[in-house]
Amino acid sequence: MTQLRETPGHPPLRLTDVTFGFGRKETAVQSPVLKNVSLAIGSGEVLGILGPNGSGKSTLLKILMRILEPQQGTIEWFGQPSDAFSQADIARRVAFVPQETQQAFPFTINEMVLMGRYPHHGRTWGLGWESSRDRVVAMQAMTDLDVAHLGTRLITNVSGGERQRAVIARALAQEPEVLLLDEPTAFLDLHHQLDIARIIRRLNRERGLTVILVSHDLNLASQYCDRLLLLREGEIVTVGSPEEVIAAASLEPVYGCPVLVDQHPQSGRPRVTLPV
Amino acid sequence: MQGRGTRAQKEAVEMFNELLNPYNHADSRIAADAQSVHRVIAFSPVKWLGVSGGLGAVALVTFMVCLGFGTEAISFPQVATLLIQGVVAEAGAQDTTQSIILWQVRVPRVLLAFMVGGSLAAVGASLQALLRNPLADPYVIGISSGAALGAAVAILFGVGVSVFGLSVLPFCAFLGALVSLFIVYRIAVSYRSFSIHTLLLGGVVLNAIFSALILFLTSLADPYKASGMYAWLMGSLTGPDFQTVIVLAVYLVLGLAILVSQARSLNLLTLGEEAARSLGVEVEWVKRVIFAASALLTGSVVAFSGLIGFVGLIVPHAVRLVFGADHRLLLIASGIIGGTFLMIADTVARTLLSPTEIPVGVVTALVGGPIFLYLLVQQRRRIVS
Repeated sequence: MTQLRETPGHPPLRLTDVTFGFGRKETAVQSPVLKNVSLAIGSGEVLGILGPNGSGKSTLLKILMRILEPQQGTIEWFGQPSDAFSQADIARRVAFVPQETQQAFPFTINEMVLMGRYPHHGRTWGLGWESSRDRVVAMQAMTDLDVAHLGTRLITNVSGGERQRAVIARALAQEPEVLLLDEPTAFLDLHHQLDIARIIRRLNRERGLTVILVSHDLNLASQYCDRLLLLREGEIVTVGSPEEVIAAASLEPVYGCPVLVDQHPQSGRPRVTLPV
Repeated sequence: MQGRGTRAQKEAVEMFNELLNPYNHADSRIAADAQSVHRVIAFSPVKWLGVSGGLGAVALVTFMVCLGFGTEAISFPQVATLLIQGVVAEAGAQDTTQSIILWQVRVPRVLLAFMVGGSLAAVGASLQALLRNPLADPYVIGISSGAALGAAVAILFGVGVSVFGLSVLPFCAFLGALVSLFIVYRIAVSYRSFSIHTLLLGGVVLNAIFSALILFLTSLADPYKASGMYAWLMGSLTGPDFQTVIVLAVYLVLGLAILVSQARSLNLLTLGEEAARSLGVEVEWVKRVIFAASALLTGSVVAFSGLIGFVGLIVPHAVRLVFGADHRLLLIASGIIGGTFLMIADTVARTLLSPTEIPVGVVTALVGGPIFLYLLVQQRRRIVS
């Protein structure tokens, strides 16, 4: 097992022996979805979480976002136990992009992105109109994600790629230090996959945004992540650089099928294909 | 041990990203200065004041027009004169027949209609957000009949009982509404994905059970009491006095203020509870607040006016089409338009077959029911396509 990378000061996130299962505590611990997961994430890092279906990838993200609560273990955000923060405290520093956004109500893209400013208002009694600064931040996020021109369109009437970009813009409007993404490219065609991956990469480079992303797409993760984490049945199998994780020796036992690994012609990062 | 590859590889990645990234060119980045932001995103408080003010004016005119209708027709200028005189002059200074009819019969009734309609529409809008279901309505999903059951128990077993000068009737209706809201919510969350039809089916069954219990209780009552119960169940705004209207107003203003205070959280709850939580909403707390306020509003409305359906469904729907989905505006606009709608519906109910009155619940169901069915079919199309 690879040594976890340590950064000076507090890592933004550290998990120690986290075990989580659904249902009541006894049954949850007996058949957990995540088993003794320990992990530290460095500031400004892009971490990819990989693994087959049902390996606990999305569950891990939801635990980080405190949507689910682990039965055992501790989570530290920015050097403090996660319980020390209110939900809004966390949301001011950590943003989450869920796998799929269904919206049955006709909000405009502007309104959707401005929702990202909610945690900066605290608990609002009253109507809590957005300040001028809220609008500037939202506008900047929309410009970054190239959805500013769609501002007055309804979220129910735009394409999947546009909706996903709007949701990422909403996350950026939170002004987070850490961005969590659950399958950011899952329902998108190639063109939009590339767009989203590059945008995330650029935000990481330009602003030092720490990114944790769950993905099914091994090649995309290999291309854009600094470090990868491979999960199987709720346990960490490997953590390391793409070269270490995207290798036949670590992938084959986890996915239960033979794989061919070569190098991407442009980037030189490892690339996975299936044998004929 | 990072093993990040050779320097040459790293440079290749940089170049690759640099070359093809359309967003990296400095000149394509639009500076987001405050001015362009205001141009792009409409300044909401101004819109809010304009829309609520405009709708308020429409409601006021409708109020005055509705006051003129009835067995004794009063012209619009007369209504205006009598209203102004009534407000300005000493009480009882105007005791013409028209003045008495207007102030003692019509004003309380039309005000009651406005408050009931407004509350039902605001509750409908809030429940729709909370349950993520654009077809939720306190009547359709069984909250109103839960409140009615609570009220029926109070009427049959202890009408007139009061604690600290307040009738227990609204309190029992509130409890009934709270219990059925809790059941409906459990039904809604039992399916992890958000399902419109589960909730509606649950509501149908809940309605059937509560109606059966109410009918059972009614059959225990003496016939005179029972016929009064039937009239009340059909939804009726008959014969309130000013005191009733004021008591109800206190409950409703309280409930509506709570709902409006949660408008931003409601906006985020439409994204789903997980997304709302990740954006900083204390979801469990907000849900309890919305539940309590919705039960308070539904309970008091049902206690005073029986079962009036579909106002909470069609009004928020129409308002969303015109003014958008932001609950800060949606709740206020739905309230005013819902009130206006019920003032008109009640005027139709009491004048169409005059001197016989049609229960106002019949009017709203005949208008709202078909619209509901139309929307149901539309939802289906949208899900399929």
